[in-house]
Amino acid sequence: MIAKHDVLVVGAGCAGMRAAIEAFDAGADVAMISKLHPTRSHSGAAEGGINAALGNAAEDNAEIHAYDTVKGSDYLGDQDAIEVFAEEAPGDIIQLENWGAFFSRREDGKLAQRPFGAAGSPRTVYAADITGHVLIQVLWEQVCKRDIPVYEEFFAWQLVDHEDRCQGVICWDLLHGGLKTVGGKTVVLATGGAGRQYRVTTNAYACTGDGMAMALHAGLPLKDMEFMQFHPTTLYPTGILLTEGCRGEGAYLINKDGERFMKHYAPNALELASRDVVSRSEQTEIDEGRGIEGSVLLDMRHLGAERIIERLPGSRELSMTYAGVDPIYDPVPVRPGAHYHMGGIETDNDGATEMTGLYAAGECACVSIHGANRLGGNSLMETITFGRRAGRSAAEWALSHTTVEVPESAERDAEARLRELLDREDGERPWKIREELGTSMLENFAVFRTEEGMTKQIEIIEGLRERYPTVYVEDKGEVFNSDLTQAIELGNMLDTALCMVTAGVVRKESRGAHARPHDYPTRDDENFLHHSITRWKDGGIELSKSEVRFTKWEPQERKY
Amino acid sequence: MKVGLKVWRYDSVSGERALREYEIDAPEEATLLDCLDIVKDRHDGSLAYRKSCRMMICGSCGMRMDGAAVLACKTRMYDIAQEGRVPVISAMGNLPIVKDLVVDMDPFWSKFKAMWPWLEPGYERPDDGREYRISQERMNVVHKEALCINCGCCVSECNAMESDPEFLGPQALAKGMRFVGDPRDSATVERLERYNQEHGIWDCTRCYFCNERCPKGVDPRDAIAKLGAESIRLGIDRDMGAKHAKWFVRSAETTGWLREEELIPKTQGYVSAIKQLKFGASLARHGKVRPVPIPHTARDVGEARNLRKVVRGQDRQGALGHVQGERALARLAHGNAGESLEEIYARPGAAPRPFLPGEGQGSLTQADVTPGKEPTRKRGEA
Ligand SMILES: Cc1cc2nc3c(=O)[nH]c(=O)nc-3n(C[C@H](O)[C@H](O)[C@H](O)COP(=O)(O)OP(=O)(O)OC[C@H]3O[C@@H](n4cnc5c(N)ncnc54)[C@H](O)[C@@H]3O)c2cc1C
Ligand code: SF4
Ligand code: SF4
Ligand code: FES
Repeated sequence: MIAKHDVLVVGAGCAGMRAAIEAFDAGADVAMISKLHPTRSHSGAAEGGINAALGNAAEDNAEIHAYDTVKGSDYLGDQDAIEVFAEEAPGDIIQLENWGAFFSRREDGKLAQRPFGAAGSPRTVYAADITGHVLIQVLWEQVCKRDIPVYEEFFAWQLVDHEDRCQGVICWDLLHGGLKTVGGKTVVLATGGAGRQYRVTTNAYACTGDGMAMALHAGLPLKDMEFMQFHPTTLYPTGILLTEGCRGEGAYLINKDGERFMKHYAPNALELASRDVVSRSEQTEIDEGRGIEGSVLLDMRHLGAERIIERLPGSRELSMTYAGVDPIYDPVPVRPGAHYHMGGIETDNDGATEMTGLYAAGECACVSIHGANRLGGNSLMETITFGRRAGRSAAEWALSHTTVEVPESAERDAEARLRELLDREDGERPWKIREELGTSMLENFAVFRTEEGMTKQIEIIEGLRERYPTVYVEDKGEVFNSDLTQAIELGNMLDTALCMVTAGVVRKESRGAHARPHDYPTRDDENFLHHSITRWKDGGIELSKSEVRFTKWEPQERKY
Repeated sequence: MKVGLKVWRYDSVSGERALREYEIDAPEEATLLDCLDIVKDRHDGSLAYRKSCRMMICGSCGMRMDGAAVLACKTRMYDIAQEGRVPVISAMGNLPIVKDLVVDMDPFWSKFKAMWPWLEPGYERPDDGREYRISQERMNVVHKEALCINCGCCVSECNAMESDPEFLGPQALAKGMRFVGDPRDSATVERLERYNQEHGIWDCTRCYFCNERCPKGVDPRDAIAKLGAESIRLGIDRDMGAKHAKWFVRSAETTGWLREEELIPKTQGYVSAIKQLKFGASLARHGKVRPVPIPHTARDVGEARNLRKVVRGQDRQGALGHVQGERALARLAHGNAGESLEEIYARPGAAPRPFLPGEGQGSLTQADVTPGKEPTRKRGEA
């Protein structure tokens, strides 16, 4: 063990940094571990905005925000968590602003708010189209101010489960090499999403579900893993995201005939319908032959040069760089791409997991406020509000307990496993397995799902998992061995993907992001109004369910 | 397409350097980062570089291509491959190399931290427990500085840092301006005092490489200029650099042109000016010193004075003046870019014009979401 702390936060995106700041302010000795420098975290890529019912642009309150979220979740969100979320969000935003966040302003000097999909009121606070960047910067500034130590470019690999408590994390030191164990009275996982399981995704290379996999391997339950949100406007061919803010500003979605096809699917909300609805509409257009080369078009031309340059400069730059199209003059080819993991490590409203001393927050966690479908702008808010809550409760627990102990055997076992991987002299290079996983997930477990496709996908993943133990790491050095970490990441993606598809097959209904138009086209509250729970057991996955917590909203049909 | 790359490899354990050439097959839309990925996956797993977002926002992938800093994920290879060029890829400059294309960012971050890179909340604290009320216009003063992704491309190319490794550098100073220009910050004077010290703003050589290489349009050199302007506005002008700048203005205002022979005494004081007589002599050789220093006034000096009056009258001194100038230039550029919507739809090969019978611009009102000056109008409204 190289060091120990009261609170050890794994991941330094919005959720991780917010948790660390809160733990620090609660008086704990806190440190962060991150495989990337904090400002490189993928939270920084968020463009559109962050939801809080400030009521600056139109009448709004926490209750309406909560209702929109419940409805958006297709009634699978836990309503007590959602109420906490909607109530505490405005205070958190004000605090970020007071810390110096560079948000866009209204004429009266208050924070501007824009309309976002499926929201009853314009409640998305934003900073042009670099909202995530602005949040990451302000949180990093606050981390610097408090001088919170960061184990930078440390790749967290395994949790230390000792005496029924989580007491630290075993990491690979990317910059200098070697396994390093950092002890913590409490550990907060905030490692973000896992979109890299798909070939077309808005997620960064670093989004490989490491935290989910670490929890899974430690025997913890993952919740609602079958719900992967597809974002309707990702650039062809790479999957880079164009913010929903484009449609918020008035962009159209058109098919190859120039028709605004959303009028057939969501006659009222049109382009601003909930993401799952828009993604499915696009996929239908594409599947029925009204797309262009597997994509539809996002048209901003009518917004005019000035508005595009002033309000959507980032989206314009992305379109020009990665699709070679200037949205001032031409519509941009877009299609649905894997975007956000609604599921994750099961936690309570304070971020606590089943294992004493282990907490989780952000995209790797499942509280659950997003249920079967997340609303745009809610996940950044979740990282802040629940990052704060997890940081607070982790600190409180840590401050009332004194010991940290890491048994030598844990470190020895990890070292042995690592050597086994590193010393392998030949075998298959990881990229092939990674590409096969990405392509097959996109084919069989994307916007639309079928029994047949999912069954096939389980077989494919099992096949890839059988090949995985022969994976060959070519770089044998100690310094910046990203070949090694990428191989470990691949293992994490395979295991979490298996959880997703396994949970998906047995959910014989259509709900939120889980759409089965061919065999089970409707929602079935009688049989499936429950969370799916997946656990690792004896080298396989054990499935179970848990109840959805209701407060005041009865399930209703979702229409936009 | 076939892409050739030459990569400077570096092994920090053995200290060996080697230029290795790779030829790979890449899709046409591939960026430099995609190409490096292909090299690493299929040719040489030991190649080291940083990456994450692959959408030019995380700032991981700064490196040099043919000697100039770029973001690998922002650099498309198509044209280069078509020309048959084989670019040389190496690690960024001004930072110690760890392995191959990976540099040690510690010096970068320690300068960043030396700037007090956080808001020191001050004065007009909102008394209702809500957000500060600030106009978008005031915030726009630091808009460009807020775009910085800490990639280090500017630092890599900085001339001043090459000769003085202690120089705070373009990124850190841009971050400093981010707070000096923020109306919510109360530590402006303390900050400027600090940034005015040795290795601070006046040590910049104004080579503009940082502006040129910054992939996000932060224009760090402009930020440094704004810091200078703010320093002078607030009377923090002890540094030679500040005196130098002030003399430029004074000289232009009084006679309408630059009296270079007075520059050194006014900037460095008379004693040191005498020491610089050699420099004076070389000025004379280049015809920059008039043989007889008779005060002489440029013909259009009135215009120079009027300009200055206008700036003063609008109370746009310091950074605000800079920003106003920038915006004016940007507007000029916009004005020339605009084709009308009809013209755009009529372009040959243009995609079809969208329609929705009986509808204007969708069903949601956009009217109340606009920051800044002009509320957005719905289509068709005057
Ligand atoms: C392109 C894009 C746009 C988005 N736009 C919006 C939006 O407009 N509004 C909105 O609300 N949401 C948006 N989202 C979703 C939202 O940004 C994310 O859900 C959220 O930022 C996740 O934050 P996080 O802190 O949980 O994870 P991240 O920011 O991804 O951070 C993960 C952290 O964990 C670290 N880490 C990961 N694995 C390890 C490991 N093994 N060891 C050590 N450290 C590790 C990483 O280094 C990183 O620091 C968007 C997402 C994407 C991809
Ligand atoms: S203009 Fe100044 S800060 Fe920028 S690169 Fe040149 S010397 Fe460095
Ligand atoms: S100023 Fe530009 S080049 Fe320098 S670190 Fe920031 S984004 Fe990179
Ligand atoms: S990979 Fe993030 S900026 Fe290039």
